[in-house]
Amino acid sequence: MPDVNVTIDGHKLAVPAGMLVVEAAKLVGIEIPVFCYHHKLDPVGACRLCLVELSPGPPRPQTGCTTPVAEGMVVKTLSPMAVQARADILEFELVNHPLDCPVCDKGGECPLQDFTFRHGYPTSRIDGPRLHFKKPIPLSETIALDRERCVLCYRCTRYYDEVAWEQELTVGQRGVQSFITSQFDQPLQSIFSGNIIDLCPVGALTSRVWRFESRPWDMTHTASICSKCAVGCNVNLWQRRGQLVRVTARENDDIDEGWICDRGRFDYTDVNDPTRLRTPRIRGAKATWADALQAVAEGIKGKKVKLGISLPADITNEEAFLFRSLLDGPLRGARVKMHGRTALPLPLGETLRIKEIDDARVLVVVASDTENEVPIVNLRIKKAVSKRGARLIVIHPDGVDLDRDPRTVHIRNAPGSAAAEVRKLASNELLKSAGGLVAILYGDGLGSEEIVDLAKSCRELAEAVGGKVMPLYRATNERGALAAGVAGWDSLDGVEALLSWGPPPTAGIPKSVKFLAVWDHLPRPQNEKAAVVLSATTFAQRQGSYTNLEGTVQFLRPPIEVDQPLKDSWEVLTELGVALGMNLDYAGIFAIQREAAATIPAMAALAQPPSAEPEPQPVLVGPAHP
Amino acid sequence: MAEQRGTVGGPVLTEWFATRDLHKLDVYESLGGYTALRKVLKEMTAAQVIDEVKISGLRGRGGADFPTATKWSFVPKDHPGPKYIVVNADESEPGSAKDRYLMENSPHMLIEGAAIASFAISGHQAWIYIRGEYDLPYEMLRDAIAEAHAKGYLGEHSFGTDYPMDVRLYRGHGAYICGEETALLESLEGKRAQPRSRPPFPAVKGAWGMPTAVNNVETLSTVPWIMRHGGAEYAKRGTERAKGTRMVTVSGDVQKPGNYEIEIGVTYRHVIEELAGGALPGRKIKVFWPGGSSAKVLPGSMLDTSTDLDYLKSIGTMGGSGGIIVMDDSHCVVKAAARLLRFYAFESCGKCTPCRVGGNWAVRTYERILAGEGSQIELGILERVSDGLQNGRCLCGLGDAAGWVIESTMRHFHNEYEEHSLHNVCSVEAALAHA
Repeated sequence: MPDVNVTIDGHKLAVPAGMLVVEAAKLVGIEIPVFCYHHKLDPVGACRLCLVELSPGPPRPQTGCTTPVAEGMVVKTLSPMAVQARADILEFELVNHPLDCPVCDKGGECPLQDFTFRHGYPTSRIDGPRLHFKKPIPLSETIALDRERCVLCYRCTRYYDEVAWEQELTVGQRGVQSFITSQFDQPLQSIFSGNIIDLCPVGALTSRVWRFESRPWDMTHTASICSKCAVGCNVNLWQRRGQLVRVTARENDDIDEGWICDRGRFDYTDVNDPTRLRTPRIRGAKATWADALQAVAEGIKGKKVKLGISLPADITNEEAFLFRSLLDGPLRGARVKMHGRTALPLPLGETLRIKEIDDARVLVVVASDTENEVPIVNLRIKKAVSKRGARLIVIHPDGVDLDRDPRTVHIRNAPGSAAAEVRKLASNELLKSAGGLVAILYGDGLGSEEIVDLAKSCRELAEAVGGKVMPLYRATNERGALAAGVAGWDSLDGVEALLSWGPPPTAGIPKSVKFLAVWDHLPRPQNEKAAVVLSATTFAQRQGSYTNLEGTVQFLRPPIEVDQPLKDSWEVLTELGVALGMNLDYAGIFAIQREAAATIPAMAALAQPPSAEPEPQPVLVGPAHP
Repeated sequence: MAEQRGTVGGPVLTEWFATRDLHKLDVYESLGGYTALRKVLKEMTAAQVIDEVKISGLRGRGGADFPTATKWSFVPKDHPGPKYIVVNADESEPGSAKDRYLMENSPHMLIEGAAIASFAISGHQAWIYIRGEYDLPYEMLRDAIAEAHAKGYLGEHSFGTDYPMDVRLYRGHGAYICGEETALLESLEGKRAQPRSRPPFPAVKGAWGMPTAVNNVETLSTVPWIMRHGGAEYAKRGTERAKGTRMVTVSGDVQKPGNYEIEIGVTYRHVIEELAGGALPGRKIKVFWPGGSSAKVLPGSMLDTSTDLDYLKSIGTMGGSGGIIVMDDSHCVVKAAARLLRFYAFESCGKCTPCRVGGNWAVRTYERILAGEGSQIELGILERVSDGLQNGRCLCGLGDAAGWVIESTMRHFHNEYEEHSLHNVCSVEAALAHA
């Protein structure tokens, strides 16, 4: 679309036709305050805060969030009409708003505070009782609702309807008595519920996990990657006094578009657990790292197939590379089992990228309950269907949440016959007349499907109809571990020595194990018999990178330092290698990354340094940035 | 009871209302009913229907006063999906009861008009959104639609042609905001009744995303007469710019409240004193709302104002939905305004900030004034709230109307406001106490 010329407060600029006035103003650094508008939701023009004077136009202010720019449009945000309209609306928003700032978690990153300072009247004329509601209401175990603070921007209910396709959050009553409520007062169940905390422009929806934890200016944050699943959403990890205090979304339009799921948002409290292991121990007695690693080396060397190695789902690329070196050297022949992985192999060719889902005309989802396995990819599928008009075919034995759109074609296959159903789709009308990209996303049906055949059938279908495949891995760095060749699938039964890297194996420690060495951050009952316990760093301290399910390498940035006596995993593995007789000498993790990039083609991106630390954001623009 | 005033050539809407059992199809037909629809279906094109209505000068009678033919012409006739006529029978404007009167007397007139309108926009389906409280009109419409189906006037082959035509009913659930056309469409779709942001307008994206024209009951009830007699005949009535006749409801302190059909252009004095019997004995008319509670009030001294809709706009008020509320000197204007603000605050849908908060803030301020706790500050708050409700701040007209009530009553009766706020005195009550 061609650009149009507009003038905003005297600044002349050319912007793409169809861009909204509030977005165009941002390009020249002009803030038009908004509550109900959010760039990921359909505009409604409900809060009326973005009123500006437009000419040519009627002699009344217009909402900038619903008006697209037009050629020759002149926008005035500082004319008396616009300034007064904005200040009046802010005054109305504050009429019933409680004086909670001292106790409200939003303070310091609150758009209502900021806009009132920048655009509102300096004195208050409100002299009377305000509207009261019972507060706070627990909407779920992790989210609290304060109805008095709510400005009824409806971002939360609209997000639920438009983005998450859920109906559990709604509005009760009408007029000034309106309030946000969950259906039938039941706790929110959706895995996507936490995003309403980021969306809420005031302190009405707050995290109960982070409640009263800190003021924004007392925290620092790093731009890192979530470690809970293979999607690799970009997150901000916030720390205060050496503790990981909260996780918020960081917008990456290529992957997550600013949403994260509740697993990534709330499952971090183990990082701050006071019972965390800090020093290595040999049979319960504190030991130095040198002694502990020597003991481990003694226990595992030369065991060949009698040695088992359990690897975690969130093993980093660098750890995987080091394990590859160990398995090619002193630990040759060991059996390896990786946690939580699917049965999917490495892809045979090019795969679909997550952002390409936006352009797909037909989506085929096979053998995967995407809502629980790859939640944010599930949201992207929903967006393609409801906002981009894509058609959706689901092949799954049970109903899935994607069925909520009435046009979804759901083929209920008998478990194990997914590949056959995929082959039948080659003659399906929808696919033959797709008129564009066909995206085929396939999981492993939680083990119910014959994977090699399923992968083959998906690739055949893609070639037949002009599509691309996306294997839906489950473990965080499954694709990276597969590239390094350490995503093991071996059974650990019968091993005599076990090196458990990360949480204990889900099937338990095999009875045959005589020597157990663990690398873990919490004391666990399974590890009581361990000969050597290595105190581990958590994802909040670990340096490294993950490869997400589409093959993108993303670097972690830990917000918390590895404090003595802890050591980071790459260092420990290097020293273990040395104790096992290898000649390893890495000056830092970057040296490992360069070597990995040179040896493993899929890890070539590790040679590129991670992108520069983002500019520190002024605290005034917090996670729920307008 | 409607009194048929001698207009040029006689009444239009209430022409047959003295006939017993007019609501029955055979009686309606015996007088000439359904001849218009038959002619339209068998002999005319959609464009010709729109032209005829354009000649008539018919404008929307729901309050917005928009030229009907123009509204129909906005509906893209080549749109591949369905196109809808939605009848706004949600009549909730305080003071207005004319639509109910029309539906209870002649439901077939509305059905015929809605069907002709559907034809004009190349649609096959009309929805009548009737407010839930209107039990009797709903039942009568339901029975009338069944009669029309039985006779083949509605159905797959309307009047034996290949043109399917249907009219369906939907009942509202008790909200004034459903009279706003986009909120009505939301409610019709089964969603929470809150207005949509415009553009896009319903003619482009209306009911279920399809092109839709929303028309008032009275507007569509006029259409059969226009098609029978021709648009030019209708245009002989009324004034130069505001053509035809309209229904008004007169209520309040008058001797003969009721629904009347008037020729547009007569004065309010004619309507209130000659048709509705004038003030009650011994009382003087102090203030009247010219077109529903949302129209800015006029003082009793302006009774000679014409009912010409353009003229009313030019003096800053409106003919609205024709609900003329008359108040005499035995009533306190401040109390009346306070009661009206309670209505608007209660009916506010809550979507946009100024109406949701401003309405309630005004109600609380009025309460303080009437409780004797007022001061200059409260008067200032009312002015500022009234300003904050108008001038494009709100998403729909409900907020503006609330603002107009405050502004117009304050303008014409500032002395009463001052008495209450600054002196805690109600001279009206005082006068009554001594009467």
